[in-house]
Amino acid sequence: MKAPDVVKISLEVNGVRSEGEVEPRKTLADFLREDLGFTGVNLGCEHGVCGACSVLLDGAVVRSCILFAVQADGTKITTIEGLAKGEKLHPIQQAFLDHHALQCGFCTPGMVLAAVDLLKRCPHPSEMQIREALSGNLCMCTGYVNIVRAVSAAAEIIQIPEKP
Amino acid sequence: MDLLSGAAADGKLLAGGQSLIPLLNLRLARPEALIDLNPIPGLSYIRSEGKEIAIGALTRHREMEFSPLLAEELPLLAEAIPQIGHPAIRNRGTLGGSLAHADPAAELPCVLTALDACLVAASPNGERVIRAENFFTGFYATALSHQEILKEVRIPLDRRPVGWSFLEFARRHGDFALSEASILLFAAGTGDHCTSARVVVGGSVERPLRIASVEQLIRDELALVSRRNSLADLLRETERRTAIMIQSSGAGGENSDYLSHLTGVLVRRGLESAMERWRKR
Amino acid sequence: MTGAQWKGQAIHPREDRRFVTGCGLYLPNISLPKMLHAAILRSIHAHARILSIDVTEALKIPGVVCALTGEQARALSKPLRPLIPLPVETPYYCLAYEKVRYVGEPVVAVAAVSRYVAEDALEKIHVEYEPLPAVVDPEASMKSDAPLLFEPLGTNILWHDCFTYGDVDGVFSRAAHVLSERFLIHRYSSTPLETFGCTANYDNSRQYLTLWSNDQRPGQAMPILAHSLGLSITQIRLLTADIGGGFGNKRKPPYLVLAALLSKLSGQPVQFIEDRRENLMGLVHACNGVMELEIAVGEDGRLLGLKVRDIADEGLNVLNPTVHSLLKLGNVTNCYDIRAVRFEGYSVMTNKCPSGANRGIGKPFMCLALERMLDGVARRLGRDRIELRRQNLVPPEMMPYTTPTGELIDSGNFPETLNKLLSLIDYESFHEEQKKARSEGRWLGLGLALAIEPSTSNQSSYILTTGKRTASGAAEAAMVRVESDGSIQVVLGDVGSGQGHQTAAAQIVADELGVGFEDVQVSPYFDSLVSPWLYTTGNYSNKFAGTDVGAIQGAAKKVGEKLVSLGAHLLKTAPEELELADGAVRSKKDPQIRKTIQELAQVAYRDLLALPPEMEPGLEGRCYYRAALADLPDEQRRVRGQLFVSNAGHAAVVEVDIDTGKVAILKYAIVHDCGTMLNPVIVEGLVHGATAHGIGAALYEEFIYDEKGQLLTTTFVDYLKPTAVEIPDFKTDHLESPSPYTPLGMKGVGEGGAIPAPAALANAVENALEPLGVRLSELPLTPERVWRAISLAGRKAD
Repeated sequence: MKAPDVVKISLEVNGVRSEGEVEPRKTLADFLREDLGFTGVNLGCEHGVCGACSVLLDGAVVRSCILFAVQADGTKITTIEGLAKGEKLHPIQQAFLDHHALQCGFCTPGMVLAAVDLLKRCPHPSEMQIREALSGNLCMCTGYVNIVRAVSAAAEIIQIPEKP
Repeated sequence: MDLLSGAAADGKLLAGGQSLIPLLNLRLARPEALIDLNPIPGLSYIRSEGKEIAIGALTRHREMEFSPLLAEELPLLAEAIPQIGHPAIRNRGTLGGSLAHADPAAELPCVLTALDACLVAASPNGERVIRAENFFTGFYATALSHQEILKEVRIPLDRRPVGWSFLEFARRHGDFALSEASILLFAAGTGDHCTSARVVVGGSVERPLRIASVEQLIRDELALVSRRNSLADLLRETERRTAIMIQSSGAGGENSDYLSHLTGVLVRRGLESAMERWRKR
Repeated sequence: MTGAQWKGQAIHPREDRRFVTGCGLYLPNISLPKMLHAAILRSIHAHARILSIDVTEALKIPGVVCALTGEQARALSKPLRPLIPLPVETPYYCLAYEKVRYVGEPVVAVAAVSRYVAEDALEKIHVEYEPLPAVVDPEASMKSDAPLLFEPLGTNILWHDCFTYGDVDGVFSRAAHVLSERFLIHRYSSTPLETFGCTANYDNSRQYLTLWSNDQRPGQAMPILAHSLGLSITQIRLLTADIGGGFGNKRKPPYLVLAALLSKLSGQPVQFIEDRRENLMGLVHACNGVMELEIAVGEDGRLLGLKVRDIADEGLNVLNPTVHSLLKLGNVTNCYDIRAVRFEGYSVMTNKCPSGANRGIGKPFMCLALERMLDGVARRLGRDRIELRRQNLVPPEMMPYTTPTGELIDSGNFPETLNKLLSLIDYESFHEEQKKARSEGRWLGLGLALAIEPSTSNQSSYILTTGKRTASGAAEAAMVRVESDGSIQVVLGDVGSGQGHQTAAAQIVADELGVGFEDVQVSPYFDSLVSPWLYTTGNYSNKFAGTDVGAIQGAAKKVGEKLVSLGAHLLKTAPEELELADGAVRSKKDPQIRKTIQELAQVAYRDLLALPPEMEPGLEGRCYYRAALADLPDEQRRVRGQLFVSNAGHAAVVEVDIDTGKVAILKYAIVHDCGTMLNPVIVEGLVHGATAHGIGAALYEEFIYDEKGQLLTTTFVDYLKPTAVEIPDFKTDHLESPSPYTPLGMKGVGEGGAIPAPAALANAVENALEPLGVRLSELPLTPERVWRAISLAGRKAD
């Protein structure tokens, strides 16, 4: 049995039904970036360590560089572009702004989504819990200090975690 | 099963993909075929079955992490799982995938060996049960034939430990273990004396290693109420015997002195921690 | 005249919003029609002759458009111009030619319809190598029997020199105490999360190259590109958008040339983006090496003289070696008044990744070596390590202070920095805390380090190593324009990579023109056709404070003067009676008498006959601003290598687990002085980030090569960056000692934190292990290294 050259996939990205035809080996990250234009998904290592490519798959944070696009068939994906509701930023995005939790911004989409995932399952995390949850997202600019402060502040603001 | 029989000998199975896909991206692994197990229904569950807990091979780490059943019945496992990588890894990684990958520096092979788990392997020819102790045969090597996949892991509940501990030493939070230790203490009757123990280490060794000499020591010497001196001696001896075992296994190459020492320290601390839990009961 | 209401404001960078919504325009996000993707086949040997290259099979793969070898690159381009002319020409092209000299060196490049296909093609390329013995250790590389990287050179030593300032021999012969120590310097780098990349579009019909890149020194990239490709600068348009971190690393003209050649060959745009493995193997490493220090001390504790022998392992770097050495030279006396200095420097090639700029460039190790020795001096003399430092600090009264090597410490209050630091880390109560901990079997330690953090490189300093004067001084360029609707546009040559330039520049212009912060827009992008620029244009050596501010302010001033002049004409008053405030030119005496900037713009752009007869239309000002203090080396070979000096003190409380060697940071305090803080939020963020990198260098990051020159740390699994768990929260405090020589009194910030951090941590760990007599002279302080040091010293106490 031979794998097909291209596979049709159908999934929901940021609330919008999206279709694609991909080689089985195409990563979800590349599909989101190249086929669908979600360039907010950044590639920092492509071996699943830095977390820059993090997206939400059916609500849970995953590394899109080590997932194949075909594996996302039938799923609901949220990228950073899908967090804000029009002009209204997600509380975590707002907190990142309020606490200057970024500099070059390259780790930010992944970091924000990892924080979304954290606050959904742990609405009142301690500082160490925040640090542990974000330890899978590397940042080279900020030293994490303001990021931790931002997530802590966002936790206070978010009353009930919304499903994205 | 058809796919498996049809696949070339170097076809690879894809479960969580957290270890495999990085290798593919780096073009360090070039399998002829990749079979995605994720769509297979009915392989993700955590069930109590009387004297055993049964966990489906495709159960994600995250399911296990938040399972009240596991927290209640298998606290050693519950202690180890949050130390597997990071949340994103745990959202995708699977029990079966981790075990089949058999990285000795991973947490689950060490813990499941300590728990004396039974691994159920399925092939086109049927099923068989392999004890964890016999499952891991070397670096990234298991007893599975290329026609077999893991279907389920069964963990006995007939003996409840009076004390347990999982300790890991890594360079950074979430990294693979340089060294790790799983300790289980069992007592019978009034529960004052330790009747048996399981001490399994992992990390820079080839495969999870039972430190039989330490298990023996614990059986012979460990009581709930020990004089401070004898406990201190016991712990020192635990560390010494562990270090010898690791040193003689050749693990760590030119760094074997540090690794054997480190493992000894972890086992000692693990034993202390397990004892603390015993006292608190 | 103008109010200073925006200077010092804690405005959160406006560019943050773009990034937090995933709208960053990073290089990988720039796509052109028909764009191809390049992949590079890299050397698997550290040293080998290339015997043959066969790309025929690769070219047959559908979707592969063209391939380029070193031989072709040599035919199609001129060698990349080196900074230091060597006695024998050592041509260096964008691809290896005849030999490979490090694992990861580019050998063949391929352009294809996708990166996937391009990498498929790499697998079908056959390269035949004849391996040669490799040399990996710099001291071995200096020996006469070492394998030579460039045979015609006859040596692997690119540069060797000895600088003597003051009566060094006399001082050492008379000194009451002479201490010496040898430090092994490890190899690490900054690793921006976005890797290096470029998109080249070579238009063969008009011989014009349009190149997008995240190279952080466009001013240097342009002439290099032009020279290599045989073009004039007018035939190149270089564009830079958002850069996902630079830290000095994002500089690689060879890749720009490579992409341009592929585009020229294929007739299509070509994008090349390093993947992480390529980045770690082949972009840039900081020099590793050896530092031997000798310090002469008086009986009273005065530091009298310093001798340094520095061997910098540059890997394969024939393009710009000696940079680390020069910066160490400029920093050699740190914050201290040491009058006699000898610095002997070697720049040595080995079969490893080329060296280059990173956060700190050599200064972290200069600081490490001296700060560690000072703790040693204190021990030898039985003096308190704080008081010994305090006694030798350059006091504010002596500033501006010229160091023996010619650096000017223009401002700073080092004693006050020290005092604040001691207070912040709660130094007073630590001794008790440590005693108590020791009695409980816990090994706590406190270490500190003081550092000057100079900024704004003076190009003249390279004259010391090149012997040629091709560049000198420091400068940046900016343009400010009031548009026809009265809005204000700023374009800066410097390309930011997270330092909040868009915000900081707006603050400066808003103050200069008396307008609201929101009225000023700053372009985040560089476009060589639009942005004013010179050779020194770019993002490096924390030069924003030293050059960019002057350029921005200078450009704004020109526009401001014109606005006032025009206003005076229209209001029929003298310019001296007018001021810029509140979005208008208005009478100082009666603010109601005014012309808004919109009204003035309307005249300047449309109602031209209302202009004074001799006045040009338009409201644009350009300023090419030269930093003050830049000089040429004098006869004694003294020069101001970096012009404006910030400083800091770092202190860390650590706990060492002596059973495992693991070091945990319990507390970390930073006192920082970068002069006037234009924007405290930006400053603090930069201080945090640089410090975190210094901690990474001290405890985690290390490039490890085996004896055959194979790099063992090629992914983020092996090359360890600190995460949010490893970096503690920082307690920070600031001083402001403005520089008398910069327009706003600002000094550089951005790499500073990376300088004292390794020293502070090394001192802290030694302090924790003091009873065991442990000495650490090699980083990173991995658990194993610490444990071995403890084992070696032998356990004396339990």
